[in-house]
Amino acid sequence: MTPQAPLGPLALRHQAEVEASALPPLLVQAQQLAGSIMLGEHGRRRSGSGDDFWQYRPLQHGDSRRMIDHRMSAKGDQQFVREREWQISQTVHVWSDLGASMRFSSRPALPQKIDRAQVLTLAAAILMIRAGERVGLTGGLLPPRRGNIQVLRLAELLSRTDEHDYAPPEHRALVPHARAVFISDFLGPFDELQIALGKAADRGVRGVLLQVMDPSEVEFEFSGRTRFQSIQGGVRHETLKASGLRERYLDRLAERRAFMQALCRDASWRMGLHRTDDSSQSALMWLFRSLQRTDA
Amino acid sequence: MTLLAGIGFTTPWLLLGLLTLPLLWFLLRAVPPAARVQLFPGVTLLQGLVDEESQPDRTPWWLLLLRMALIAAAIIGFAGPVLNPNAAETGRGPLVLVLDASWAGAPHWPRLQQQIETDLQTARRAERPVAILSLTRPDALRFQSADSWQRQIPGLRPQPWQPSSDDITRAHVALTAVEDGFDTLWYSDGLASAAHDRLLSLLQQRGTVEIVQPPAPVVALHPAQIKDGVINLTAQRSLAPLPQSYSVHAMGQDPNGSLRALATADFEFAAGETQAEIRLSMPSELRGRVQWYALQGVRSAGAISLSDDSLRRREVALISPQSGNEGLALLSPLHYLRTAMTDSADLLEGALADLLPATPDVVVLADVAQLPETQEAALIDWVKQGGLLLRFAGPRMAASDTARAKEHPLMPVRLRIGGRSIGGAMSWGAPKTLAPFTDSSPFFGLEIPDDVQVTSQVVAQPDPTLAERVIAELADGTPLVTRKPLGEGQVILFHVTANAEWSSLPLSGLFVEMLERLAISSGASQPDASELEGTTWSPVQVLDGFGRLTDAARLPGVAGTDLLSQDLSEDLQPGLYISEGRALARNVVATDQSLTPASWPATVAQRGFSLVREQQLGGYFLALTLPLLVADILATLALSGLLRLSRGASFTLVLLGAFALTDSAQAQSTATPADLAAELTLAYVETGDAQLDRLSHAGLRGLSMTLSFRTSVEPSPPASVDLDHDELAFYPLLYWPISPNQPQPSAAAYDKLNAYLRTGGMILFDTRDADLARTGARSPAARRLQQLARPLDIPPLEPVPQDHVLTRTFYLLQDFPGRQKGAPVWVEAAPQDAEQVEGLPFRNLNDGVSPVVIGGNDWASAWAVNDFGAPMFPVGRGFAGERQRELANRFGVNLVMHVLTGNYKSDQVHVPALLDRLGQ
Repeated sequence: MTPQAPLGPLALRHQAEVEASALPPLLVQAQQLAGSIMLGEHGRRRSGSGDDFWQYRPLQHGDSRRMIDHRMSAKGDQQFVREREWQISQTVHVWSDLGASMRFSSRPALPQKIDRAQVLTLAAAILMIRAGERVGLTGGLLPPRRGNIQVLRLAELLSRTDEHDYAPPEHRALVPHARAVFISDFLGPFDELQIALGKAADRGVRGVLLQVMDPSEVEFEFSGRTRFQSIQGGVRHETLKASGLRERYLDRLAERRAFMQALCRDASWRMGLHRTDDSSQSALMWLFRSLQRTDA
Repeated sequence: MTLLAGIGFTTPWLLLGLLTLPLLWFLLRAVPPAARVQLFPGVTLLQGLVDEESQPDRTPWWLLLLRMALIAAAIIGFAGPVLNPNAAETGRGPLVLVLDASWAGAPHWPRLQQQIETDLQTARRAERPVAILSLTRPDALRFQSADSWQRQIPGLRPQPWQPSSDDITRAHVALTAVEDGFDTLWYSDGLASAAHDRLLSLLQQRGTVEIVQPPAPVVALHPAQIKDGVINLTAQRSLAPLPQSYSVHAMGQDPNGSLRALATADFEFAAGETQAEIRLSMPSELRGRVQWYALQGVRSAGAISLSDDSLRRREVALISPQSGNEGLALLSPLHYLRTAMTDSADLLEGALADLLPATPDVVVLADVAQLPETQEAALIDWVKQGGLLLRFAGPRMAASDTARAKEHPLMPVRLRIGGRSIGGAMSWGAPKTLAPFTDSSPFFGLEIPDDVQVTSQVVAQPDPTLAERVIAELADGTPLVTRKPLGEGQVILFHVTANAEWSSLPLSGLFVEMLERLAISSGASQPDASELEGTTWSPVQVLDGFGRLTDAARLPGVAGTDLLSQDLSEDLQPGLYISEGRALARNVVATDQSLTPASWPATVAQRGFSLVREQQLGGYFLALTLPLLVADILATLALSGLLRLSRGASFTLVLLGAFALTDSAQAQSTATPADLAAELTLAYVETGDAQLDRLSHAGLRGLSMTLSFRTSVEPSPPASVDLDHDELAFYPLLYWPISPNQPQPSAAAYDKLNAYLRTGGMILFDTRDADLARTGARSPAARRLQQLARPLDIPPLEPVPQDHVLTRTFYLLQDFPGRQKGAPVWVEAAPQDAEQVEGLPFRNLNDGVSPVVIGGNDWASAWAVNDFGAPMFPVGRGFAGERQRELANRFGVNLVMHVLTGNYKSDQVHVPALLDRLGQ
């Protein structure tokens, strides 16, 4: 068998099992998280095809007789038509940063940022799929679809990792007027984010940025002579007195967040911060509420 | 050597290394500690940030100081600092250390070794070749470096003799063999010696001589002497500056066989007196046990006085035939023996059966032909263990047929019927005289008086072994005294009577001397040279220079005359010598020897021992560098932020602390002997079968509960006993269930068990098989019981008789069921002569608790209760079964009462007498 030859059915099956074996924990975790939130309504506030009652209106010309609601009409002489609320499904794009910078936790007790980001992404996706929305990844890798099978596909694609230190936000193949969820630490090059948000705004896509950060990145509790380097070693910085850098680091972090905040305001996105030592549920609640907003 | 305020350095040039310290200062300041690598995704935000402070890349001043202290300590350590260096001016060229090395130097030998060490140190620094010459063991001189001698100092030993003239000659030869000149350090022992005169002039020709004087006068103990039954001890000292007192111990084995001081006395030296005397009065029994006298606190062979036969009195048992009529004293067969030995031996008279248990040294049978069988066996045993049996012939022996047909174990030869008379009225020939003693005879060298005549004797049968057994014969060659060895002892027969009836031998002085030679009576004074002529003495134990007795089996024998007169040397070491059953001690200091202090000519330089020892400090400095190094490592780690006590580490520390606590808690929970002895505890033997052990435990728990409910015996929870490891003395009763596959206890365990049984312990063996063995079928448990119990001292057994005290110690019982019933229970058999007490259903039995009770009724199962006190196993059926369990419990109560109270209940037999005495 040459290396180029397709895998035999047995080998394929085996590989699939190995891959799938990584999914259940993520899935289960995400399902559990999603199960803790009661789904609300998000109707279109106008009549249309849907399940829920919207209003009774008098029979008009052009209405088929089959549309008459006989229970209501029998109360008087006038004939009424029962209208239902217009319910359509939304398209939601999700992007979770799979770059190397996400594979970091400052203490063994804390989860890595990437774990938290994957779980949150998938949990949000599950919630939205349950609500009947179509969910897909940005970049055309996984077009938005409905149904539970999409959760499995998402889980599989989210389990991959990127070898780059800082993965740029994926903004291609966004469906116009769709919703988007970007989850990352946003510590990479700032202009990439600017470009991505600009493209999204151009297409009328609105959404949320969730910045997932490790406590050490927020607080910068380092001291002594230290050489900082990124996970893959691509970026380095050496200092003789790490504690002396603290103030300036925090300033820079705040500055970046202010920039991001301004960017979001312009594109009418929303932005949130999540620390990995906080509970993931609060982050999911925030995500859920932000996506539920009609004006967003 | 460089001196600096009392501290010198062996290699001072190394101190130049201290000059590098300033250099180090600059080097270290320039090289900051290494950075720590920290993974941090937020590093992008840090890029372009510049450190505001430029100072911290320098090593902090305290770390620099620490490192410089570290380097300085190492440099000083290697430079070899010495505290109190011996600053004495030393010469150049070879050095010879001459040691007297006799017993007189032994008390201060460790200090002498230190002094030699110090002097060798000085010589080492001066790089002088050194040779050591020990005058008591002179060898050819070997010049070696001082440090190789330093390693040999522990091997230098004082000898228990002073340099003999041979030694001095050899030392002289060794010294003259050295061609170059040399200086001499002479370590004197403080006693004058011939060596001083003969060697000093030679040494002075070769170079300077310096004498090192010992710090204290020499003290020695003269051989003990016995005068009027009192031990006289004399101690002497070489110098008499001040009053001094020494205590002397008479060391010997006590009746238990352990060595201890049997008597103690104090010597008081008055100021100016060199001699002190004490008199030590001891019972002859105790005196016989003394092995040596020792001055306390003086570790020297001269402070030991070995005791020998001259201080011992032998115990001689005199046995004569029981005669009904009271004979005249002079005709008594024992009269002459008594007279000959009364001064030199302790005489015992009485019946043989009474005297043998006193283990006399000698038993004399005067004209005793026949002994009762048991006594004869006991006597043979006694002789085989080293006793000396001395027999005299007489009319009874001549008339009896003892040793007639075949050789009797207690007779050296076979005898002809009747014996013979010579020189009487009815016979031809004249009375015979004694032939001179041959040199193989123990009597060799004794002078035979002319007037010793033999008129009657018993005659030996010619035998192949006869010739070698004769040790004295008459002029015509007939044996007069014969001897044969028997076991470790011997049997000697005088073919004449012990009185003057058959010969005039007992009337002569030769008789006494012959008894002395046979070690029957020992002379009250040291034997003189003529007595020892021709004898060879082999050393048993010899003294070393420090006065310790060592085994001397490998040393050659010594001629008797040499032993007395020769100077002590390597060939004749002081110690205990034996020959022919006699023991003679050669002590270091002879009776008339005086201790003369050494006197040196005024031209010779003298000094004492130096008071302060040199002390090498290098090790301390080098040891100091280690903690400094550790501190430096820690400080460097702390500076670079690598040293963070993680929570894991602190958790480990806490855990370690907790372990230490639990350890001590465990240590507290094990029962101490005091705890065990405080409470009565029933115990069972661990059989190795876990289920059986649990059953035993439950059974004894049930029995303990029953006892607590019904009696005033309230045992603590039962214990298990591992026969190999546990002490048994705390348990009055051991329950030993037998399982067929139980391992055999070790020999040590059996010793322990036998001691336990002898001291009043009781073992309850339970085969748990309803005694199937009784019907002839041998159960495996019964077989195992036989194997297990074979090494135990178990007396004869019988089934519990009707009147045994076990039937009435608490409850009145007639059978002893357990879970099984009907099987007999075996206890120690009552003595044969127990009599029925009138008016009572008991026999009058002796006291004592049966050491074992053996049965097969599986008592533990009947006693066993669980944690709630409910019975664990069914017994029998219905109420009859409960009755049986009740009886089993009653048996347990009776058994424990029997163990605890002994035969108290059988004292009821005395109740009528007591009532009678009380007048009721």
